[in-house]
Amino acid sequence: MRRRLLGGVLFIAMASALGAQNTSYHQDPNWLPPRDAASRMNPLAQKPEAGAGGEKLFRRNCVECHGQDGSGLAKKNSADLLLPEVQSQSDGTLFWKLTNGNTDRGMPSFSRLPELQRWQLVLYVRTLQAAQGSARKDPAK
Amino acid sequence: MKKALVILFVFAALGSVWGQESPYFVTYDHHLEEPGNLEIEVYTTSGIPRSGQVGYVAPYMEIEYGVTGRWTSELYLEGQGTVGDSAVFTGWRLENRFRPLKREHWINPVLYLEYERTSEASRIQKEIVGGGPDVSSPNSDLQATKNHELEMKLILSGTTHDWNIAGNFITEKNLSESEGFEFGYAFGVARPLASLASGNACRFCRENFLAGIEVYGGLGSTEDGFSPHNTVHYVAPVVSWQVSDNGSLRFSPSFALTHEGSPVLFRFGYSYEVRGFGSKLAQFFGGRR
Repeated sequence: MRRRLLGGVLFIAMASALGAQNTSYHQDPNWLPPRDAASRMNPLAQKPEAGAGGEKLFRRNCVECHGQDGSGLAKKNSADLLLPEVQSQSDGTLFWKLTNGNTDRGMPSFSRLPELQRWQLVLYVRTLQAAQGSARKDPAK
Repeated sequence: MKKALVILFVFAALGSVWGQESPYFVTYDHHLEEPGNLEIEVYTTSGIPRSGQVGYVAPYMEIEYGVTGRWTSELYLEGQGTVGDSAVFTGWRLENRFRPLKREHWINPVLYLEYERTSEASRIQKEIVGGGPDVSSPNSDLQATKNHELEMKLILSGTTHDWNIAGNFITEKNLSESEGFEFGYAFGVARPLASLASGNACRFCRENFLAGIEVYGGLGSTEDGFSPHNTVHYVAPVVSWQVSDNGSLRFSPSFALTHEGSPVLFRFGYSYEVRGFGSKLAQFFGGRR
């Protein structure tokens, strides 16, 4: 009985998580950085400890639209940051998108944040992929 | 009324956002309100008197809403209290800022258009044009003159190495009287005290503070032939502190560079941002946003 109840709760939790995730997200094909911006390297790439600050910035600035786990919210039509089509973009591209925003599609510009803080956000977005990967490998987590 | 206040506080509690607010009081930079967000700001401008003048406190409230990513609209309500005189409501202003360019550039232009219905007793000095406000006459005389004014600004602003540099060029036309066009300016530079965000939650971290300086003043009018006489100019250090995830405090002492107007202005402000206000309001009234 207890096992069934637990299974039911897990099913509801997974179903609601799937319902919140923006599975229908498609990138704006016109939202592309100039080549030199896309090739920029993250100056914090060798400082993974800066990712903790990135997580704090993410919670403050991004979860409203992208959700706690970055998977996007269907009602906001925000990007699922875990998707390969997002994660395969270069650091420079993500930085450029954070800086410029895409106001016509609801993504604001975060140019008011200092440059290094925007790079910290990029660093943290990369860890979302790793966190999701390990969660998939070990569903008990 | 009570219900409206309760609704407002519920929205405020539901949605909050952290964003580094510009520390300026007079100068505008190119950052607009995020679409659908509402910011409620309360400020005061206090004038320290010269001999022969009296002190005053001019509070004002600003309600700012991000209509779209490139259009922000604001309503101001303002008043003023003068020592030994009276406290009066001095009027309202409705302003709109438009950002013509979509992306970030070295210099980002923003067009500003404001209609104001204020009396001559207005002393908030949100901007200074012409010769500045009359700080000597009694409120009863000043309140008798009501003005319809149209104000336009060209805002040019950019950020380099975390320094924001902004310049505003102001022109104002009083539609009720033939005063010609009045002109003014404001320039500001500011930066955060730390570029990297620390990993721990903290209120007194340097990253939560921005500091800078602004300079602003009047440039005369077409009627007085752009005479520099009787114009007011101030230099003002500015500082802002992100006190909570959704609130920030600002402070600025302004020092007069000329012998007109108040020699020192103290400006205080608190702003509170409500994220997703537009969609929450639409949901409340049964919409689907």
